[in-house]
Amino acid sequence: MKDIIKLSLILGIFCTAAAFSLAGVNKITRPRIEMERKRVIKEALEHVLPGAKIITENKTIDEKTYYLGYAAEDTTQRPNEFAFIAYGQGYSSRIQTMVGVNNKGIIESIEILFQQETPGLGAKSTEIRPREEKPWFQKQFAGKFAADIKVDKDNGEIVSITGATITSRAVANSIQEGIEWLSDYVKFEKEKTITE
Amino acid sequence: MENKGLFEEFIKGIYKENPITAIFLGLCPTLAVTTSLINGLGMGLAAAFVLLFSNIIVSSVKGIVPRKIRIPIYIVIIATFVTIVELIMAGFIPSLFRALGIYVPLIVVNCIILGRAEAFASKNSLGRSIIDALGMGIGFTIVLVFLGSVREIIGDGKLLGYYLFGPEFEPVLLMILPPGAFILIGLILGTINWIEIRKNQKIFLKFKEKKLITTENPK
Repeated sequence: MKDIIKLSLILGIFCTAAAFSLAGVNKITRPRIEMERKRVIKEALEHVLPGAKIITENKTIDEKTYYLGYAAEDTTQRPNEFAFIAYGQGYSSRIQTMVGVNNKGIIESIEILFQQETPGLGAKSTEIRPREEKPWFQKQFAGKFAADIKVDKDNGEIVSITGATITSRAVANSIQEGIEWLSDYVKFEKEKTITE
Repeated sequence: MENKGLFEEFIKGIYKENPITAIFLGLCPTLAVTTSLINGLGMGLAAAFVLLFSNIIVSSVKGIVPRKIRIPIYIVIIATFVTIVELIMAGFIPSLFRALGIYVPLIVVNCIILGRAEAFASKNSLGRSIIDALGMGIGFTIVLVFLGSVREIIGDGKLLGYYLFGPEFEPVLLMILPPGAFILIGLILGTINWIEIRKNQKIFLKFKEKKLITTENPK
């Protein structure tokens, strides 16, 4: 009994010391990580909204953010592009994807901001094939309507990553839900979704 | 062990007791991340950093760590440094952090680090533990960098992101896929074994000439 108390106490001391040192390091690195995250979002926005001269941020009532892209440097006109971050629970991480859509509700392009899926399987969502510019998995979302964004296993048009259906589905479904959510806040032009 | 020279202690990790080619520890990250030179270097240095500090702490607290709970304590120490590396990487070298992704937290279970804590740092002085960690870390990094460069050159036609050959060069994709790592590491181990066998044969022949060994049919 005495032994157990002594051992727990020693282990506890080590853990406390570890916790304090981690708190210290976290304090130093947190602002840098925040800054880096802002930079990544800004860069991704420029990629997914290629036609936008000015990008502004808008918040919904429940504090969710979406972005408006204006074709000219004039924010009084109607924005012609929109972007948002889609969150989907993958196999081992919450995948965050920046999605750009035009004013008809068609996806311009997407960019995965964060994922920690299994290397060799789900992590292939960000894999760039040799001599190509963009990841092949993300490229196939461009030019599609929300209704078509389903992986092939769910009768959709997105070719899923071999061995990583959960990851593929998480990305596709989160984007589809995101566009539906966004359509409550922004008006897409009506000629869309003639899917039989 | 204590009477080994300090230089010998350092150099052993690079060839004679190299964690990958001689002790075969930490093969999982070795095979997985070495698709390019920079990934290999990043992983090698990150692991070396964790190894150095875990050896320092393990060696300095060896007097007060009870044998029964030494492994949990080593894991806490290692995990702390891995998290520190992860935070620093995410904040200061984000591109490398994105490339190494999930492998950084996996340094916690890298057998090299726990192996050195258990087999060396917990039994040796602080100075020797530092030297051991440096040698082992450098040995690990060298192998990773070598694997990474060869795979990047053959498998992608690039080195450090720059194209080395003209557009007519067809990269051998296999080399940057997992089988490439197995093939390459197999070739490295084969070469090292071949060198070692030849060395031993020479020594044996020398002994035989001097009639120090008399058996006709040695193994």
